[in-house]
Amino acid sequence: MKLDHTQPLEYSTKQNQLNILGFWIFLGAEIMLFATLFASYFTLEDRIGNGPSGGEIFGITPVMIETILLLTSSFTIGLTVNAMRIGNKKAMLTFFVITLLLGLAFLGVEIYEFYHYVHVGAGLQTSAFTAILLTTLGTHGAHVTFGLFWGLFIVSQVKKRGITTETTNKSFIFSLYWHFLDVVWIFIFSFIYLKGMM
Amino acid sequence: MKELFPFKQVMGFVFSLVLTVVAVSVYFFDLSFALGMTILLVTAFIQAALQLVVFMHAGETEDKGAIYANLYYGIIIALVTVFGTLLAMIWGYM
Amino acid sequence: MEFFDRFAIPHPSPLIYASMVAIGLTVIAIIAGLTYFKKWGYLWREWLTTVDHKRIGIMYLLSALLMLFRGGADAIMMRAQLSVPENTLLDAQHYNEIFTTHGVVMIIFMAMPFIMALMNFVVPLQIGARDVAFPRLNALSFWLFFMGAMLFNISFVIGGSPDAGWTSYFPLAGNELSTSVGTNYYMIAIQIAGLGTLMTGINFIVTIFKMRAPGMTLMKMPMFTWSALITNIIIVFAFPVLTVALAMGTMDRLFGTHFFATTNGGMDMLWANLFWVWGHPEVYILILPAFGIYSEVISAFARRNLYGYKSMVGSMVIISLLSFFVWVHHFFTMGQGALTNSIFSITTMAIAVPTGIKIFNWLFTLWKGKIEVTVPMLYSLGFIPIFTIGGVTGVMLGMSAADYQYHNTMFLVAHFHLVIIPGVVFAMIAGLTYWWPKMFGFMLNERIGKWTFWFIAIGTCVAFFPMFISGLDGQARRMYTYSESTGFGIWNMLSFFGAILLAIGFALIVYNIYYSIRYASRDIGDDPWNARSLEWATHNPVPDYNFAITPEVSSSEGLWDAKKRGHTLFKGPYKEIHMPSNSGVPFIMSAIFFVFGFAMIFSMWIVAIISAIGIFACMAHRSFEQDHGYHISVDEIKQTEAKFGGAKE
Repeated sequence: MKLDHTQPLEYSTKQNQLNILGFWIFLGAEIMLFATLFASYFTLEDRIGNGPSGGEIFGITPVMIETILLLTSSFTIGLTVNAMRIGNKKAMLTFFVITLLLGLAFLGVEIYEFYHYVHVGAGLQTSAFTAILLTTLGTHGAHVTFGLFWGLFIVSQVKKRGITTETTNKSFIFSLYWHFLDVVWIFIFSFIYLKGMM
Repeated sequence: MKELFPFKQVMGFVFSLVLTVVAVSVYFFDLSFALGMTILLVTAFIQAALQLVVFMHAGETEDKGAIYANLYYGIIIALVTVFGTLLAMIWGYM
Repeated sequence: MEFFDRFAIPHPSPLIYASMVAIGLTVIAIIAGLTYFKKWGYLWREWLTTVDHKRIGIMYLLSALLMLFRGGADAIMMRAQLSVPENTLLDAQHYNEIFTTHGVVMIIFMAMPFIMALMNFVVPLQIGARDVAFPRLNALSFWLFFMGAMLFNISFVIGGSPDAGWTSYFPLAGNELSTSVGTNYYMIAIQIAGLGTLMTGINFIVTIFKMRAPGMTLMKMPMFTWSALITNIIIVFAFPVLTVALAMGTMDRLFGTHFFATTNGGMDMLWANLFWVWGHPEVYILILPAFGIYSEVISAFARRNLYGYKSMVGSMVIISLLSFFVWVHHFFTMGQGALTNSIFSITTMAIAVPTGIKIFNWLFTLWKGKIEVTVPMLYSLGFIPIFTIGGVTGVMLGMSAADYQYHNTMFLVAHFHLVIIPGVVFAMIAGLTYWWPKMFGFMLNERIGKWTFWFIAIGTCVAFFPMFISGLDGQARRMYTYSESTGFGIWNMLSFFGAILLAIGFALIVYNIYYSIRYASRDIGDDPWNARSLEWATHNPVPDYNFAITPEVSSSEGLWDAKKRGHTLFKGPYKEIHMPSNSGVPFIMSAIFFVFGFAMIFSMWIVAIISAIGIFACMAHRSFEQDHGYHISVDEIKQTEAKFGGAKE
């Protein structure tokens, strides 16, 4: 396996470069996935049937908490990659675990949010609006959940196998995924919640 | 210690927080729909660009051409899909 | 016992019962045959666990050919039913099931895998690579497609076939009006197959961007590889839309949501909208590889390089973007105002321009060439006029005001068959014939091939031209019968006759394969067509590693340079070759997907949850896996190459 020592470790082999480019292309597909959800959301936003509208059920506090949690976790995964690049395994693992814990906290708040919505009469089956709202938020949340497990697996591999060409490649790709989820959240935050509460 | 908290990452984080606060202002102030949406669009797209370029190192390698092309394609097609859908389903519907 | 009621067919018929028996007997025969000839190990080692793009390509090909016959059987039944007025061969329900499965099978389970077959086999060879960027993912793509296809294909014997058209519009596709599980099969089987396709999109983009032979810049790639690149770009941006639409449709049917319902704020038109946001790029996914094949074949058998390389590339790039801007033309008549319809009319007419550029480039290539009328060339020559006619009727349909006359009549049916068949099907047969010797080591019979072409080309015209007339006269599509007084009888009878000619043509393809396996010479060398591009610079049969030494090129016709201009393709000594290991995980994970899909279709939640966990377990396994492949030593390479009588060209 030929190593290119002029590059950071996660780019240093041919397969590593392929993996990273492949993941970026996958993110292009994910842009379209969420674009479709947003297109459907804007189309169905006012179709509330007999159920509540966004303005009636959204709360600024949980939304702000979720946003700060996710934004900070995006910062900490950046610190993870940085620590990885300077070869500091302990710092890398610490920041990685903090990232996952912040993600877990985000999920906790979101699950509480969903519980609240169902209780005030905005369930999945209530109306077209609630269906697309919960599906869009839920798709993002499912991606975060998947990320938590995936991140955990990588943490355990870094712990056992150290900072290698494979583990750096996987960690970097995970960071791309995690940042992307934050980008999607920015749009959810702005055009679902804030727009709905204007 | 400083090497664990690189300048770019910290500045990016702070700037993201600032953009978030600006966006939230549409909730706390009584703005017109047009003004509110403009603020949201501007802050959202700037923050997204920030994540992509500063945090995700989109322009870092020899593949940056392919990566940026991929992103532009995705964004253009996403926008056409969203606005085309709204046009066909709501605005342009009889 | 009640539990098993859900699997019963809601609308049985003697033909369906006979199929159940046939399917059962076939499965038993396959299992018995494998056991008797002791081939289970061989099957597992060489095919079920392979990650080799060539083998995966062949498996896609076999699947596509099988599905061609399923879809074709559907077609013959429809044409027979409509051949005379008030026929009683099929009742309305069965007719609906048949046109639904005909559409889904032909587009998703025949045309797509046929394209995947040729892309998989040929593209890595054309760029001088040893495999694709992600061989394991490639295998997963195939098996997910296969399981999706299998799931869809058992619908008519277990639970009931979908019957709401290949477009499955709501509210017809909702629970109220489609009470059987048929539409669940539609939503879930296509979803599973679609996941595989998306993975292929990512795989081939990275492969083509990053794994080309030294000297092969993007503008020196063979045209088929360019078409593959553009096709896969469209796939990456189009398929996620379908994923969301199918998921929302599934949720409406299984979980009582109101996305597309008629109550509680649901919007049935949103399904049509999202379906076609995917659906229009999908037809370009089908046609662009076909265009790539025509470029290869016309250039090879006009004995000159392709005219207008740059504009060929440019036109495909434009098509890839514009294809996402035209989708509303599929439902002009469904409620949009004049402004919306006009905008999409303009974009629709605009997209005809780059295609026109390509047709002219092919004509110019032929103009100064030394034409050799081989079977692949015959299909290309037949394609140009018939596709052009089909294409201009597309421009007619694209004029929104006029479309109110044509929409959902047989005129539309004629249009799309007269672009898809000469466009995609002819190209697939041409590509198959052209690359067959590289895949299997012998040529298909030329004489039978020519007869086949004439039956298929004439059959296509006789089957579909009359539909323009009956469509303009008012015959609607998807209608199981018509009365004598309409006067549609003569046109439909002609179409039936054309369908029979087509059937004979496809039967001749099977006969050709059988005949050639039996009688064709295996001593055809590496380059039987005297072709121009790198895939012909490999041995016959192609070794596992494709090229012993990675070739180097300096133009878009590497092999032609080597043969005619003294260019050396293979420089330097043999080096150890790294190959990916086989893996059973793609097959196993896809099989679990089959179980998951089946469970979801029949609302068997516990099984669904357990199989979902199984799918995630496979992913976890992959995450922790450390198998980095194996190496082929220089000695082994020397031995293999010696068997072929030396590598260097």
